[in-house]
Amino acid sequence: MDFIILVFSSFGLLLDPVNLTYVIMGFVIGTIFAAIPGLTATLAMALLLPLTYTLSVETALMACASIYMAGMCGGSITATTINIPGAPSSMMTALDGYPMQQQGKGALALGHAAFGSMFGGAVGALLLIAVAPFVAELSLLVKTTGKFSLLAFALIVVVIAQRGRIPQAGLAACIGLMLATVGLDAMEPITRFTYGYSNLTAGIALMPVIIGTFAIAEVLMQASSSSDISAATAAASKTRIRRRDFLPPLSDIRKIGFGCYLKSTLIGYFVGTLPGAGGSMGSFLAYTEAVRTSDEPESFGKGNPKGIAASESANNAVCGGAMVPMLTFGIPGDPITAIMLGVLVINGVQPGPQLMSDQAGLIAPMLAALLFSAVVLIPLTLYIIGPYFIKIVSIRKDVLYAAITLLAVVGSYVATFSTFQMFMALGMGVLAFYLRRNGFPVITMLLGYILGPNLEEFLRRSLALSNGDPTTFFTNLDSLFFVLLTLVFVYFLVIRKPAEQQASAAAK
Amino acid sequence: MFLNRQLLFLFFTLAVSVGYFISAMSLGAPFSDGGLTPSFFPILVGGAAIMFACILILQALRERAGAGEADAPGTYIHLWVVVAIFVYILVFRTVGYFISSGLFVFALIVLFSLFEKLLQKAILTAVIVGLAYIMFQQLFGVRLPTLWG
Repeated sequence: MDFIILVFSSFGLLLDPVNLTYVIMGFVIGTIFAAIPGLTATLAMALLLPLTYTLSVETALMACASIYMAGMCGGSITATTINIPGAPSSMMTALDGYPMQQQGKGALALGHAAFGSMFGGAVGALLLIAVAPFVAELSLLVKTTGKFSLLAFALIVVVIAQRGRIPQAGLAACIGLMLATVGLDAMEPITRFTYGYSNLTAGIALMPVIIGTFAIAEVLMQASSSSDISAATAAASKTRIRRRDFLPPLSDIRKIGFGCYLKSTLIGYFVGTLPGAGGSMGSFLAYTEAVRTSDEPESFGKGNPKGIAASESANNAVCGGAMVPMLTFGIPGDPITAIMLGVLVINGVQPGPQLMSDQAGLIAPMLAALLFSAVVLIPLTLYIIGPYFIKIVSIRKDVLYAAITLLAVVGSYVATFSTFQMFMALGMGVLAFYLRRNGFPVITMLLGYILGPNLEEFLRRSLALSNGDPTTFFTNLDSLFFVLLTLVFVYFLVIRKPAEQQASAAAK
Repeated sequence: MFLNRQLLFLFFTLAVSVGYFISAMSLGAPFSDGGLTPSFFPILVGGAAIMFACILILQALRERAGAGEADAPGTYIHLWVVVAIFVYILVFRTVGYFISSGLFVFALIVLFSLFEKLLQKAILTAVIVGLAYIMFQQLFGVRLPTLWG
């Protein structure tokens, strides 16, 4: 209860002009980046990461929270207007948003998307505020062996969640783990894989890994692709949008139903708590559920606002869900929470069970900003800059990518004032680019890199405590719980699901 | 072409994994006095990486046998972007922020568009470099290298 009171009292920090400016700037930048196909809120946050050195931790985390929320709803803009989702999480929104645009109801579709995002984001944030302290208390029960099994569970789940490309995800995770082992060993004074290069003794820093993986790799992806959305944006920009068109009528909201909003939100929230699942899976499951329970399933995909509401409520609720494992166990659920974890680590804050009790004052403003972004900034942004969305999307790409690259490369210099980190960011960018181009999910590499040091340390400590007896992972209840949970996920994602798919394919 | 780009990349990852595995082995025995040594985890990771790389290579070879070569002709702009970033980092501290960034941003704008309207692009370059300078140096207090020290 104390934590909940602390979060709500943190709203006072938003009255500080500096904090408010960063939260609003973060939201607008997140919306713009999410709206432009090819750019993501993750990229926006990666570019912001070097700047967090000069901000207070609270301000940096508040700005991150608003970017996160903006990133989840911003993708619906181009999904609706030009049928190209600005972010993967808005893929399902395009199914009904774009048909509405074709029917001349694009503004209304954006209004439904914003309302769904607002509902999902707000309820997801409230659930996070209510649940996180209890999860943190429960997580205190997890000891060394349990911590290893939990980290192994997170890594295995994020690999097997990449349906159809598990070996690629496995190899990417191994590459991340390899990167994590470079430098001084955590338990013995031995350097590993530095090859005599002193710059590597402290290991590969988080900043160049994030900037390279998300900013430089993205620019290289855009440079190697030849997609052009100028024709689509030119056609969409001819439609004149009035602000009052954004407001969804009450009858529409009643028809969609409170149950649909709530169910989609809960789906999104729980999907968010799973490592690697992310907004796209949340919105997909919620959309499928909305179709399954609808009286008129044939209307979906033809401009049914319920599809937009389900998809957007779910993907914004993911924000709240994904922060639960990040804050309580230091396990990021998706790339954005991985960068938020980076902000914490860079500022000397260690996520984990103690965080909610010892440094709750740092976390509470971030959760307040998340709720504020959902309830205030989503509708306000739509109302104020909604009519100009298409103009923003059609910004010159050459100028945009040049500016992003400059910010990314100079940003990687900021941390240590060394060109070594810039080269490291470039190297990571090239690696991530080739991984992405060959169908490797880079999130598993990032998770391997982030979880690697703790995974190794807890493995070695567990076996040291048990005198080298590996059965310790099955005899300790906390560890056994996560081992069994891993087996359940392996069964459902690797064994049962492909078998069902094969059976349905054979039946067809 | 005997090897397509994907296979080349997979063989590259296999080579890196094998190199890592050998380096891990050279760190010493994985067990000592009933406990794990600093080489245990890297050996485990290197072994897993080799296994995944081999699976992917076999998969790719099997798919190649079933289907024809389908290397899509792509652009090479990304390679020039990498070269531009590399050269930029090399000269960043020597030449200073303004000159190096000006040339770098101008080169990128030209790479991402066409070699035309160069004056307009030069003006845009100056604006981007100036804004980034204001953001880093003035707003966030980061000292960027200059030609004059």
